[in-house]
Amino acid sequence: MIGARKITPMFYVAAALLLTLPPFLVGPYWLGVGLLLLSWIALAQSWVLLSGMTGYISLGHAMFYGLGGYLTVLTWQSWPLWISLPAAGALAAFVALVLGWPVLRVRGPYFVILTYGLAELVKFVVIDIEAKLGKFGRLLMGAPPLETLYWLMLALALIATLATWYVRRSRFGAGLRAIRENEEAAETLGVPVVRFKLFAFAASAFIPGIVGGLMALRSAYFEPFQAFSPVTSFTIVVIALIGGSDDAPGPILGALFLIVLQELLWTSAPELYLIILGLVLIGFVLFVPDGVHGRLLRGKRAT
Amino acid sequence: MAELLSTQLLFAALVTGALYALTALGLNLVYGTMRLLNVAHGEFVMLGAYATYWAFALTGLPPLAALPVVAIATGLLGLAAYRGLFRGLLRNPTLATRIESNSLLLFFGLSIVLQNTVAALFTPTPRGYAYLDAIVTIGPLSMASDRLAALVIAAGVTLAIVLFLRFNLLGLAIKALIQSREATQIVGIDVGRVQATSFIAGFGLAGLAGGLVSMLGQISPFMGFPYTISAFVVIILGGLGNLTGGIVAALLLGVLETYGVALTSTNYRSILIYGVFILILLIRPQGLMGSRQAAR
Repeated sequence: MIGARKITPMFYVAAALLLTLPPFLVGPYWLGVGLLLLSWIALAQSWVLLSGMTGYISLGHAMFYGLGGYLTVLTWQSWPLWISLPAAGALAAFVALVLGWPVLRVRGPYFVILTYGLAELVKFVVIDIEAKLGKFGRLLMGAPPLETLYWLMLALALIATLATWYVRRSRFGAGLRAIRENEEAAETLGVPVVRFKLFAFAASAFIPGIVGGLMALRSAYFEPFQAFSPVTSFTIVVIALIGGSDDAPGPILGALFLIVLQELLWTSAPELYLIILGLVLIGFVLFVPDGVHGRLLRGKRAT
Repeated sequence: MAELLSTQLLFAALVTGALYALTALGLNLVYGTMRLLNVAHGEFVMLGAYATYWAFALTGLPPLAALPVVAIATGLLGLAAYRGLFRGLLRNPTLATRIESNSLLLFFGLSIVLQNTVAALFTPTPRGYAYLDAIVTIGPLSMASDRLAALVIAAGVTLAIVLFLRFNLLGLAIKALIQSREATQIVGIDVGRVQATSFIAGFGLAGLAGGLVSMLGQISPFMGFPYTISAFVVIILGGLGNLTGGIVAALLLGVLETYGVALTSTNYRSILIYGVFILILLIRPQGLMGSRQAAR
């Protein structure tokens, strides 16, 4: 057992180092798939920070993703990337802080629909702004190469994974999970409920802001319908729940599962992809409700 | 400004409001009784629309005659969804503790399966048909007869269901379930049967609304989602489980949408609806007439 405990961190460090290599090894197609995988991992980890831990199911992550993309596109070629990408995250976190105070008072199904509605509202406002500016889609010239984007996304996915891992084991994370189990009881026991929720919401928004920026650079094109698409929010929830659990391995397993499914089906039966994704989703809720990671944990405990 | 006072605009607002009331009533029966986040509600509206369309296109069955058949068919689909997907979810205690996220995912899965199956079978191209084109003129008001028929049927069915829920024993049981699940079980109501009835009625109403919608404009496999959203807006605005509140809220939303668009432009339609929805949720999450408890 002691040996296993020593091997585990080494294993993760080695895995992270190996993940920096693909740009030297594979062609642009598979590198693109890798980028997508890392982006879903980062997004799902950020979602787990808020929704996995507190039980406040957010369907609004597309808003942070889209806002980050929008800022990156608007400042493209006037701000350097090392400023505009963190600014994209900061903008998303700031919006979450401002909106969080009223929004996080609403609970349960109301929170789910409210976050969805907010994301749609922001989408239509941006569409309106773009239409007023006479822009119908913006093309980005001279976007950075795929390799650079891959490494940046890898760093982001690692930060997001470490954040989930760390928060899960911290006092802060314990407070968040207490909110999930019983908010009144948590408050009575001295958990600063409002501050914790706000902080989790802002932290949870920061990463999608940057991911949105990177993905806008990847497609070298910005169009609000696509950037703020609610499908992003839904996919994040699907990944987090397929992965299961409120710990770091969940989103990684969920994202891997989704990417493999996508790759298998996009090429062979693209028209069936969404139908099968829907069926897989239904199957998971009914038969594997604690997700892949939850199932693995249970298996380990049983032996 | 004179346009705003026209009876034409008021009529349009009433038609929209009545259709919203009908779809929201169906959603209230499923979401209110079981707290199932039914994001596939609009997909059953879409199925109803397609069923009506095909009945008309293939057999020439007039949409008005097809409506009851379509409602029954989508109601039975609702029963199948309950038996196959949701009964287990509601009974299993570990699944039921996370009923919101689990039902959201199940319905989301169902929704993409339905949308894409219909798109694969019938192509994603929008379709429509011409039916009841005649213009009816009463006093200063001229109305397309399909819209008039939709208004009369939507309003009539909504009222009938509300009265049924108020005076029939099964209807009262549904209302009781909306208010408190535990208390309903304690007084000896067969919760499973009430839930199955709610599914049948809820999805049947969605299908019926779809049939009416198909008479008024074009239909497509992806037309459903806006109906899901407007239905959620209406039931939250009206207060969860408050059926009369829902009707008032639906009319309000219809008026707001029609007049808002007339005053500004169609570009603002979505901004307007979502804006109102968010404001209401933030200021009065219990709805316009709901009790404080419902938001908890």
